[in-house]
Amino acid sequence: MSNEPGLRLVHSDERADIDVLLGRVARGDSQAFGALYDEVSPAVYGLARRVVRDPTHAEDVTQEVFLDVWRQATRFDSSRGRGRTWILTIAHRRAVDTVRRSEAHKRQDHHGALDEVSHDEPADAVVQADEHGSVRTCLETLTDLQLESVRLAYFNGYTYSEVATLLDKPLPTIKTRMRDGLIRLRDCLEGAQ
Amino acid sequence: MNTDVHTLSGAYAINALSREDADLFRTHLDACPACRQEVRELQAAAAQMGSAESLAPPAGLKARIIAAAERELQLPPSVPQVGDRSERRVRTRFPRLLVAAAAVLITVAGVGYLQMRDDATPGSTLSASVVRVFESPDAHRATVETANGGKVSVATSPSLNRMAVDTDDLPDLKDGQVYQLWAIADGDFASAGLLEDPDSGAAMTMPAEGTQVAITIEPAGGSVQPSTTPIVSVTPSAV
Repeated sequence: MSNEPGLRLVHSDERADIDVLLGRVARGDSQAFGALYDEVSPAVYGLARRVVRDPTHAEDVTQEVFLDVWRQATRFDSSRGRGRTWILTIAHRRAVDTVRRSEAHKRQDHHGALDEVSHDEPADAVVQADEHGSVRTCLETLTDLQLESVRLAYFNGYTYSEVATLLDKPLPTIKTRMRDGLIRLRDCLEGAQ
Repeated sequence: MNTDVHTLSGAYAINALSREDADLFRTHLDACPACRQEVRELQAAAAQMGSAESLAPPAGLKARIIAAAERELQLPPSVPQVGDRSERRVRTRFPRLLVAAAAVLITVAGVGYLQMRDDATPGSTLSASVVRVFESPDAHRATVETANGGKVSVATSPSLNRMAVDTDDLPDLKDGQVYQLWAIADGDFASAGLLEDPDSGAAMTMPAEGTQVAITIEPAGGSVQPSTTPIVSVTPSAV
């Protein structure tokens, strides 16, 4: 292929609208499905890698997610939220299910060690959008207990009772911290836009 | 009690509830629009947190996923349930539909199974997953005529535990119409997907013993329940 810059397809100013692509996917448009993959797969794969860790399992999760999206695009309702949220919610559920199914999770004995908030950036990390910077900034506004509760559940796939055991806190406390932590994240992200 | 359940919204939004707690909370959600809104907003915040982990997926995954999607049927859209006119219409005509489906079944039995077309499998437009069922060594195959003047071939393979339909010989539909596949068990129709591209056929897991498979013509996008009489209906386990 030619490297001539003039021949490269340039993204228009407008980001491909995921909701519009989902509408086309719902009508069986596989070209739109490919475009949707290009747009969302880094987020899906990155989240899957973060939760399930193993690259092969993360690929499997990514494939399951996109097949779910293909099959269920007809059920996507843009009045109930953005397409990206819908896909990432499916991705998170799939990733967590995979972790909970795995034997390793059941026998895991090193889960007392909490990850740092900023983890290593792999060499092939895609360019982080501004949005990602605000996520990090906003996560810093959470209290330690809110952040630990949210992160252990979201990224390690623990249930809130497992998180309560890990952090040695009463169940109602963890339940409440997860909710008010997410509310704080939501409010901060809304303010950042 | 309610305020207590309500505080589960955070844990629910990030899949941190056990199956039982999630079921309990979903029951609560059905009756609490404000909670549904809160869950959506918290899911959106969590999704942004997830997106911040973006990582380029391995090359080759896209091609595999697109190839896999091409073998998958899409679900029909869900149509509003309450007070919807077309929905009521379907309910009232449902018993008649069953009678019609039974009539088609009898016709099928009477006609018997036609010989499999020699050219029905390879070199056609059928998708690979369909061809695989038709060509499996233990395949049972049958061809039946449809009420709208076409033919459908059905193959079942016990070793693959799959069935496939070759719908290449179905008449073209008018714009705004689509063929929809149904599984009928105990008189209930459940959509098995849309045949957006009848030329490529469809393959699926072998339905339970005694389940019938039918095809109807539906408005584009499909229907929740059949709105027309099936053009064909077969019992795969008897093929």
